Amino acid sequence: MNTVLRTQLAGVSRRPARMLLTGLAVLVASFVVYATVLAQQITERSVLDGLSGTPAAVDLVVREGTITAKDLAAVTAVPGVSRTSALAQIGVQYGGQYLNVTADPGSGPLSLVTVTSGRYPSAADEIAVTPRTVQLLGLNVGSTAAVDPGSETGKPGKKVTLRVVGVVAPPQDFGYDTYAPSATVFALSGQPYIQQIDIDLDAGADGDQARTRIDQIFAPVKADERPHVATGADVRLEEARSSADQIDQVFAVVAMFVAIAVAAAGLIAASTFRIVFAQRMRQLALLRAVGAGRGAMFRALATEGALTGLVTGTVGVLAALAAGQLVPLALRGLGWKVLSPGVPVLPALGTVLLAVVMTVLSVLAPAVSASRVAPLEALRAAAGTGARTGIGALRWVAGLLPLAAALLLAGYVYTNLPGPDEQNYDAQTMLLAVVASGALAFVALIALGPVLVRPVLAVFGWPLRRLGPVGRLAIGGVGGSARRAAAVSVVVALGVTLVAGVLVGGASIRVLGDRELAASAPADFELTGGQGSTLPAGFLDRAKAAKELTRVTPYRRIEAKIPDFDGVPVTDLDMAALPRLVDLDFRTGSLADLGPGKVVVAGWISEMAGLGVGDTVQVDNKGKKVTLTVAAVLGDDGPLHSGLLVTPADLTALGAGTAYSGLLADAATDGDTGRTEGLRAMRAVGGGQSDYTVDVLADQRDQVASSLTALLGIALGLIGLTVLIAVVGVGATTALSVVERVRESGLLRAIGMSRGGLRAMLTAESALYGVIGAVLGLLLGVPYAWLALQAIGVNAPLAVPVWQLAAAFLILVGLTALAGVLPARRAARVSPVTALGTE
Amino acid sequence: MQTHSAPPTGRDALAAVAAVDLVKVYGAGDTAVRALDGVTVGFERARFTAIMGPSGSGKSTLMHCLAGLDTATSGQVLLGGSDLTKQSDKVLTKVRRERIGFVFQSFNLLPQLTAERNITLPLDLGGRKPDAELLDRLVTTLGLGGRLGHLPSELSGGQQQRVALARALVSRPEVLFADEPTGNLDSRSGAEVLGLLRTSARELGQTVVMVTHDAGAAAYADRVVLLADGQLAGEIHQPSIASVTDALQSLAAAR
Repeated sequence: MNTVLRTQLAGVSRRPARMLLTGLAVLVASFVVYATVLAQQITERSVLDGLSGTPAAVDLVVREGTITAKDLAAVTAVPGVSRTSALAQIGVQYGGQYLNVTADPGSGPLSLVTVTSGRYPSAADEIAVTPRTVQLLGLNVGSTAAVDPGSETGKPGKKVTLRVVGVVAPPQDFGYDTYAPSATVFALSGQPYIQQIDIDLDAGADGDQARTRIDQIFAPVKADERPHVATGADVRLEEARSSADQIDQVFAVVAMFVAIAVAAAGLIAASTFRIVFAQRMRQLALLRAVGAGRGAMFRALATEGALTGLVTGTVGVLAALAAGQLVPLALRGLGWKVLSPGVPVLPALGTVLLAVVMTVLSVLAPAVSASRVAPLEALRAAAGTGARTGIGALRWVAGLLPLAAALLLAGYVYTNLPGPDEQNYDAQTMLLAVVASGALAFVALIALGPVLVRPVLAVFGWPLRRLGPVGRLAIGGVGGSARRAAAVSVVVALGVTLVAGVLVGGASIRVLGDRELAASAPADFELTGGQGSTLPAGFLDRAKAAKELTRVTPYRRIEAKIPDFDGVPVTDLDMAALPRLVDLDFRTGSLADLGPGKVVVAGWISEMAGLGVGDTVQVDNKGKKVTLTVAAVLGDDGPLHSGLLVTPADLTALGAGTAYSGLLADAATDGDTGRTEGLRAMRAVGGGQSDYTVDVLADQRDQVASSLTALLGIALGLIGLTVLIAVVGVGATTALSVVERVRESGLLRAIGMSRGGLRAMLTAESALYGVIGAVLGLLLGVPYAWLALQAIGVNAPLAVPVWQLAAAFLILVGLTALAGVLPARRAARVSPVTALGTE
Repeated sequence: MQTHSAPPTGRDALAAVAAVDLVKVYGAGDTAVRALDGVTVGFERARFTAIMGPSGSGKSTLMHCLAGLDTATSGQVLLGGSDLTKQSDKVLTKVRRERIGFVFQSFNLLPQLTAERNITLPLDLGGRKPDAELLDRLVTTLGLGGRLGHLPSELSGGQQQRVALARALVSRPEVLFADEPTGNLDSRSGAEVLGLLRTSARELGQTVVMVTHDAGAAAYADRVVLLADGQLAGEIHQPSIASVTDALQSLAAAR
C-alpha cells in the first residue's frame, strides 16, 4: 500500500463520519436504486399472489379453439373430472345500454364471484348483478330487466325478461356486469361461444389420463379450430408472467427517473470530493514536499474515492434491505396484502458496484486537480475552495459548444412545430430532439454555472441584501465561492427543471382535458332516447320539478350538411346555463357574439372547412337551408361534440321539431349521496321506460380527472428522488464548507457577530444554493416544457401554473435552508478562540 | 533594569481593562493545565502595553479572557469597570462588537469582501453607519487610500494587516488587542504596523494591548508585562530591546 494512501486512510479511520458525509449523495442513490429493485420484487410477488385470474383449484384448462355446449357436457362427463366451469359471456341491450351476462357457477372452488346479498340465480330467467351495476343502472334485487340479446344477423331480436335475484362481488366491476349459470348464458345466445373450460379433477384422479380423454373428445375437430388442453399451473404461470410484464414496464419508467437521480448523485459526489480535497490541500502539499509523486497522489485519492463508494454503497444497500423487509411488515400490520421481498444478491452487488463506479468517476477530476498541488502550498496559509470565480478557456468551450448545439436543436424543433392539422408528423423524433436539446443545455449549465452564479445572486439576492449585514455576508460567501455554489446549484436546478416541466405539462394537459370533458360531459347527467329520437313532452317539467336536480338544460340536436361535409352535429344548447362549459375556450370571439343569424363553429370544423370569423356558411338540413355568419371559433370541440352551435330560432328554421333531443342536469348537492339521489331523480323523469337512458357523465369526468392527478403525482414522486439527492447535496456541501471555513466563523464571532447571526448567515447561504438552483431550473424547465408540449402536437395551450411553480420554488428553497440548519448550528456552537486556532 | 516587582493595582482608576486574580484551567483531573494561575494586572488608558513571556506562559489565554473571547475559570475581568466573566454570550458578542478591537497574526480578513467592506464589518454587524470622518482619517493614517476596492488576495501582507488595524479601530474601541500582529510580516511592514499602534496610543488616545514574543516589537510599547507559567513575572516601563531581552533571559534562567 502506498504511503500517501496509508496517510489518507489513517485520516479516514479517525473520522469515519466525514467519509459518510462525503459520500452521502452516493449513499442515498444506492439506497434508491436497491429500494427500487426490492419494490419491484414486492410488487410482483404481491400481485402474482393476489391477482391470478384462474382459481387455484383449476387442474386442467381447455382453450384456444371452438368449444360448444356439447363439448362442455362431454368434458364434464369424463371420469375423474369433479366439476367444470365454462368461461362464456354474452352482450345484451338494455334500453340504450350495453349489459354483459357472464357465466359462473356461483359457488365452489371454480367460481370467481361471491354473493353479497340475495342469492345466486338458478332458474333460467334469473341473474345476479354487480354493485356498480345496481348503482348505475338501478337494477336492484327484485327488479326485472327486459333485455335484447340480438340475433345472428345483428338486428334487434326478441326481448327477454330477466329477474335480478342477487348481488355478487366480481373480480372486476365496470358497472354493466351481470352473472348467471352457464345454462342461462347459453339460452340467451343462440350459438354460445365458450372461451375456455376450467376443470377441477377429483382428488387422486390421474391428470394425464383425464387429459388424454379430453383430447379424444376434440380429436374430430378441424386442426386449426381444435382447442388445446393445458394444466392449470401453466395457465396461472402465464397469467402471472403477463401481469409481471406490465409491472416490469412500469418499473422501466421508474428506472429512468432513478437513473437521473443517480447522475445527480454523481455530480454531488464530484463537488464534495473537490471540497474535501481542497480542505486537505496543505496536507497533500506536505506529502508532495516530502517526496510523494504526482501519480501516487492521484492513485491514492482515486482509491479513497472507490473506498468511499464501497462503504456508502454497502450502507445504502443495507439500509434499503432493512426498509424493504420492514415496510411490508408494517403494511401487513395495517391489513394490506403485501409480501416481503427476498434478498436479491446479484442486484445488491450490482448496486454496490454502481456506487463504486459512480464515485470513482466523480473522484477523477477532483483527484487530478488535487494531485497537481504545488509542494509550496504547504507553506502558505490555508486557502479555501472555489475562491476562483472565473472559468478557464477550456471550460468556456466545454460550455458554449453544447449550448450552441442545444440552441440549434431547439431552433430546429421550433421551426418545425406541427401545424393545426399536420399530416405525417413524427412526434417521437421531435420529442427526442427536445430531450436531447435539454440534456445539452444542462451540460452547458454544468460548465458555465460558475459564471451564472453572480448575475443570479445580483438579481435574486436583493431581498436578502436588504436584510442587513448577515444577508450581505451570506451573498458574499456564496458569490465568493462561485464554483462550489454552481456545483451544488446545478443539481438543484436538475430537480427543479423536472418539477417545473411536469407542473407546466400537467397544467397544460389539464386544460386540454377540461376542454375535452366540457365538450363530452358538460353536466352530471344526460337523459336521451338514443340516436335521432326525441324526448316526450313532460320530461322537462318533471326534471325541473325534481329538487335533487339543478340547472336542468334541454337541448335539440340535428345532423345537417354544410358545403363539403355531411352529418355535422348542430345544437342549440344554452351554453350559459351550465357553468362547466366555461372550460370550452374560444380561439376567436366569445359566446356573447352568438345571436340570430350567427353560428359558433367548433375548432375542427373551422380547420376542415376553412371557416373563420366573419365568413358565411350555408347549413342544409334535408333541404331546409339557412345561411349563417361565423361569430366565434371554439378551441377544439363543441359541447356534446357538436360542430355548430346556433340559436334556437335558427335551429327551428332548419326544420328541427319542438321536441328536445336530450336533457342535461347537475346534481343539486355535491358528493356521492347527491349524485346517487340525482341519478334516481333523473331515472324517475324517464318514468322507468328503458328506452330512455341516463348517462352519468360525472363518473366519466371524475375518472379522467383522478387518473390525470394520479399520473402527475407519480411523476412528481419519482422526480422527488432527484430533488432529495439535491437537498442532501446542499446539506453535505454546507456542512463541509462550514468545516472548511471554521476560521472565518471564528473571526466573525470575534469581531462581534452573534451566535444567531452566524447561524442565520450559514443557513441563508444554504438557502441561496436553493435559490440559484431553482431560478436556473425554472428558466430551463418552463421553456422546455412548452417546447415539448408543442412538439407532441396535441394542440395544447401553454398553461403556466404560477402558484404551483411559486410553491415548488419556496418549498425547495425551504428544504435547502433546512439542509443548512444543522451544520450552521454546529458552526455557531464552536467558541471563537477554538475556531481561530484551527488550521 | 527597570523591573518592578510591586504588584500593580487591579482596580486602578486609570485602567481601561484589568484582570483580578484570574484563573483559567484547561481540562480536568490529571491532565488539567493551569494556563492562568491567579493573574492580577491592569492596563492603563491611552497606553500601549505589551504582554510577553515564553511559549506556554499563558499570554494568549490572558488576552483571550481580557477580550471576552474565552471564559475564565475564576476571577474577574473588568472592562471599563464592568465584569465580563459573569456575562452571557449575547452580552459578550455586543462587547466584542462595540468596545473591543482585534488584530490577529494571520490578518483574518474575509476573502470575499473588499478592503472597505472588511473595515466596516463590525459596524455593519451592529447595524451602525461608519463615521465618515474617522474612516477618512484611518484610511489616510494607515496609507490605504486607493486600496479600498481591492480584495484581500490583491493586497500585500502589510496592507492586509493595516486593513485589519483599520477594522479594529473603526468602532472606536475602548481597548485594541493585537495578537502577534507582526508574526506574518517582513521587518519593514512589521515596523510600520508597530509604529501605527504606538501612534494610535500616543496621538489618538487609544488603549492598546499587544501579545508578542519578539523583543523588538515589545520595545515599541510604553510598558511590558511579563508572564511565566500562568503567573505575573514582573514588568518594564519604557522598555528597550536590550532591557526586554535581559528580562526574558533572566526568566528563562530562573526556570
